[in-house]
Amino acid sequence: MTDTYLNLVNSGFTKKLAKQLGLPRPAVLRRHSPGAPLVPGPVLVLADAASGKDADALAATLLDWDLDVRRHGGDDRYGAVVVVLTEVGAPAELGAPMLELGGVLRSLAPGGRVVTVSRAPSDAAPAVAAARQGVDGMLRSLAKELRAGATGNGIVLDDGVGVDAPSAVGALRFLLSGRSAFVDGQLVHVGSTGGAVPADWDRPLDGTVAVVTGAARGIGAAIARTLSRDGATVVVVDVPGAGDALAKVANEVRGTALQLDVTADDAAQRLLEHVSARYGRLDVVVHNAGILRDKLLVNMRPERWDPVLAVNVTAPLRITEALLASGTLGPAPRVIGLASTSGIAGNRGQTNYGASKAGVIGMVRASATALASAGGTINAVAPGFIETDMTARIPFATREVARRLNSLQQGGQPIDVAETIAFLASPQAGGINGQVVRVCGQNMVGA
Amino acid sequence: MAAPRSTTGSTPTGGAPDSPGPAGTPATRRAVVVGGNRIPFARAGGAYTRATNLDMLTAALDGLVARFGLADERIGEVAAGAVLKHSRDFNLTREAVLGSALSPETPAYDLQQACATGLETVVGLSNKIRLGQIDSAVAGGVDSASDAPIVVSDPLRAVILDINRARTTGQKLKHITRIRPGHFTPSAPDTAEPRTGLSMGEHQALTTAAFAITREAQDELALASHHNLAAAYEAGFFDDLMTPYRGLTRDANLRADTSMEKLASLKPVFGKRLGAPATMTAGNSTPLTDGASTVLLASDDWAEQRGLRPLATVVDAEAGAVDFVHGRDGLLMAGVHAMPRLLARNGLTLQDFDFYEIHEAFAGTVLCNLAAWESEEYCRERLGLDRALGSIDRAKLNVHGSSLAAGHPFAATGGRIVASLAKALAAKGSGRGLISVCAAGGQGVVAILEAA
Amino acid sequence: MSSDNAGVGRSGGAPVPDDGARGGAVPGMPGEGVPDDGASVPDDGVPAVPVPDVPGLAHAAGMPDAPAPDEPAVELATVPALGGLYARGLAGSARAAATRRTTVRAGDLPDTHVVVRDVRPHADHLTAYQHLLGEPGADALPAGFVHVVAFPVATAVMVRPDFPLGLLGLVHVANRVEQRRAVRLGERLDIDAHARDLRAHRAGVTVEVVADVSVGGEHVWRGISTYLAKGVRLAGVRGGGHDVGVDAAATGSSAHNGRAPQNAGAPDLRAEWEPPLPTGRWALGGGVGRAYAAVSGDRNPIHMSALTAKAFGFPRAIAHGMYTASRALADIGPAARGEAFTWDVTFAKPVLLPSNVNVRVAREGDVWRYDAWDGRGRRHLTGSVTPPR
Repeated sequence: MTDTYLNLVNSGFTKKLAKQLGLPRPAVLRRHSPGAPLVPGPVLVLADAASGKDADALAATLLDWDLDVRRHGGDDRYGAVVVVLTEVGAPAELGAPMLELGGVLRSLAPGGRVVTVSRAPSDAAPAVAAARQGVDGMLRSLAKELRAGATGNGIVLDDGVGVDAPSAVGALRFLLSGRSAFVDGQLVHVGSTGGAVPADWDRPLDGTVAVVTGAARGIGAAIARTLSRDGATVVVVDVPGAGDALAKVANEVRGTALQLDVTADDAAQRLLEHVSARYGRLDVVVHNAGILRDKLLVNMRPERWDPVLAVNVTAPLRITEALLASGTLGPAPRVIGLASTSGIAGNRGQTNYGASKAGVIGMVRASATALASAGGTINAVAPGFIETDMTARIPFATREVARRLNSLQQGGQPIDVAETIAFLASPQAGGINGQVVRVCGQNMVGA
Repeated sequence: MAAPRSTTGSTPTGGAPDSPGPAGTPATRRAVVVGGNRIPFARAGGAYTRATNLDMLTAALDGLVARFGLADERIGEVAAGAVLKHSRDFNLTREAVLGSALSPETPAYDLQQACATGLETVVGLSNKIRLGQIDSAVAGGVDSASDAPIVVSDPLRAVILDINRARTTGQKLKHITRIRPGHFTPSAPDTAEPRTGLSMGEHQALTTAAFAITREAQDELALASHHNLAAAYEAGFFDDLMTPYRGLTRDANLRADTSMEKLASLKPVFGKRLGAPATMTAGNSTPLTDGASTVLLASDDWAEQRGLRPLATVVDAEAGAVDFVHGRDGLLMAGVHAMPRLLARNGLTLQDFDFYEIHEAFAGTVLCNLAAWESEEYCRERLGLDRALGSIDRAKLNVHGSSLAAGHPFAATGGRIVASLAKALAAKGSGRGLISVCAAGGQGVVAILEAA
Repeated sequence: MSSDNAGVGRSGGAPVPDDGARGGAVPGMPGEGVPDDGASVPDDGVPAVPVPDVPGLAHAAGMPDAPAPDEPAVELATVPALGGLYARGLAGSARAAATRRTTVRAGDLPDTHVVVRDVRPHADHLTAYQHLLGEPGADALPAGFVHVVAFPVATAVMVRPDFPLGLLGLVHVANRVEQRRAVRLGERLDIDAHARDLRAHRAGVTVEVVADVSVGGEHVWRGISTYLAKGVRLAGVRGGGHDVGVDAAATGSSAHNGRAPQNAGAPDLRAEWEPPLPTGRWALGGGVGRAYAAVSGDRNPIHMSALTAKAFGFPRAIAHGMYTASRALADIGPAARGEAFTWDVTFAKPVLLPSNVNVRVAREGDVWRYDAWDGRGRRHLTGSVTPPR
């Protein structure tokens, strides 16, 4: 699971050598660590001519977080640049703020952030829509230009959602922070003013109860740890055969282990029994359990196809349905599915897996209304290449190609996926519903 | 967290159903089985060959902690034991607690009553809970036949101790010269009874012959054990009773595909030199096994505070022993003798149960137990009863398999049985279960569990 | 013979000189292994120094059930060293052989008593015995341990020049112990031994050597060991005779204690015998003879090793008879046998070492009976423990 190349090009003699040879030098990403500053330097807030008011509001929010906020470019080494484009009225209006951004990009600190804040193009006048949609292409291109672990992401607000909406603020904070280290070139859509700013940004999940399936190892274990770190009481679920690893995770996060095959007929019932008996409530469900049975379709057999669909999408569907019907869910439930870039862009040998993961996206989109009426949200995270036990088994050359094939030139860590899930589980993400957030370092494949 | 305590001991302390104790004893609060956890049992020399008792007990404990969310929790007391125990493991259970996710402030003690160790820890800790001394407890047991202690010979040990006691180099050297090559023959523990020199299997063979138990009857029981255990696995019965360990997810001894034909093809291993035909094979006897088990016990209050649903109540228990040394009774017949006392105290008959868990040390053990209870003569002459205790419904016997299929890591068997029975009672939602575990030294412990 | 006094406290007075045992392994007694011609007697000539004969010190009082005190008695200041006794026994046997005494008369048996007073068994010795035999480590002396303590005194009787039978020809065929009460550690034992009752046997002549143990004048323990001198005739008796220990006699067993012949209940060991279900098994290793020799002082070579046993005609070393009988007594256990009892044993086939011996110990009425037999159902010994009448 260690990226030896990344370590080599970032230390000692081999660092120099790689520099001289002009080898790609993936950066050590800036990840969240308790007590570290939210961003590695002053935050510059830029805006188009029409969006000054929103920019002021956001700057005030940033000041509330005790950040060093600038409204005009100077000689500083910026930790982040926030570009507010909420009121842009035509494509031509993008030029001024973007060129100003271009002027300060060289002084963006390693691990720095560029975050655009714009509005969704739908239902807008054509020129407005063109400008708003332009932000999308501009942002994705910019993200590919950033170096040294810096990322570029955007927040897209629906009309009627102010920049002070909990999820606008929450998404901004997430994207500025080290928690979004492997999220790059993505636009996070905030569709409502739902959600709430947490009392304690470090423990947004305090008092909540979360279930994580497939939590014995890898990404699932990282999710459990992250949710626990953020204050949740975690029930970790995995198949009985993985019970020993599961027990370790449960004890580590001071939660409980539930050995359960999520495809079992009574899985939802047992899950509900466990949670309602032990805790009396359920706030967060992360459908992380997933399996791979790769085979070219020409060689595909039911025993390789069926389980993948059963575990990856049918089980989440059934459990979500049962949870909604149960009345056990808390006042602001969060359901998070695990999609995959394979479900978006496809992958050779993964017709079954691709079907299941795209299915998760379909499930999430179609369930959003039901969750919203229950006061909650349902979203998916689509990981790209993540350094896990599973990807460690990929042959070396294939693995090297796969892990470099993104803007950050490296694979993500399970914690990166977990951080995004923790964000989507948080109260401040209550305005984000039916969305898919990729955690892929801006993988070259897919959207 | 602690439930309010009664200082008199006669006042119930919680909202628990205040069931009266056994006849004539003051009412105390209930002790309930909340759940259990064991690791799959491995055949000796198998998956756990390199694992120590401490490793396995800690693993079983950690699985229990995970299942019930007890990390960092201070449990009232943990008691466990091992039959084959290294001298370095003098504080085995406490060491396991320290290595586990439980609070290091959880006290622990070791207990040893041969194969009844596991059940006896349940009984003792339940009594403490009933008395209000503790609110929660973990009972358990572990054994490794693979990592059995090997000790130096007695003469060598004597020399080594003398060397240690010697004050001068000269004295030490003098003692060293006493060492002889023959002293280095190590002695491993065997399963022979110290007072008779007969192995447990040979003892059972004597009893099996005395009760004229047939080979076929023994094989049938073994077959049922394997089939019942396999079915329990298929039904997911052990999903919340077991945590895999060292790559093992099921009891390694389980042979789901065994048959009467396969069992009949095995050669007898015990009782080959008795007058009667030898009937005991590797198929209808338990193999040497490695494994560990734990059971979470609590007061109703403690369980309720944690949202834990009690599975069963530990109603009562009775230990018994027989004089096998002088051939008066079979080595493994003590449960037979303890049973009428337990039944009488609780005003029950042998037929008043929905589940029977009779530990299958050997198929012959179970069948001799049943035959003795069915025998007018035995019950009159040996148990001092007016008439036979009678027969039981065999369909209620060891319904989720027992030691013949699961294996028998001596001290771990009690915990396996208690947890499985408690779960079965909880699933049924009512009724009683009866446990009988025989033990070396002519001992046995019987116990009653009731759906909580 | 370094441990021939092992554990027996010297209670005062000068130790009796270890007359002649010069440290080396001296063939023990009683035994069948030594050829009757005495050829194995060491050339350096163990001096046949008589036991100090001090009639004036004979005990005068106490032991109400013991033999009348008007018989001649020899009081030793301390328990004699078995090594020395064996040496004398050898010499005596040589003497007997030399005189070719194949016929004895009932009146040949002297009335002499050998007496040792104030014997205090040592705790370590007791503990070693208890551990070896499987007795609990209590302060009550097992009856077999008292036998061990008294054995040198009894042997002293048999090595006296006036004892008519050669020590080395004797086969221990039966033993009886009558224990009135438990003897306890710390009690001072007075031991009085004498021989009696020369009697015709099918295979020779038997004699009983009686050892009486008293504490402060209270007779607490009596051991009666029956020995068979094969091939010796009792003058005035034709043929027949009793059969006790006949197999032992026939097979040349040695050092077995047995049941007194006057006991009418002596089992017929030649009768067809169907082995019962055992209650236990003794896994007797090759070192059992040496181990019991270490606690009993009986280092008869037939028990010590296969090599030395072969020299006396046995294929392998054989277990001490009293070891096996004492194991049976331990199997019955202190609680079951009580503190006062009569313990009988009759020896049949000797136990070759190493071997597994099947054992049955069972109660019949108020009598405990025991048998031990080999894998082919041939009996090694049979006996009983009977409560006082």
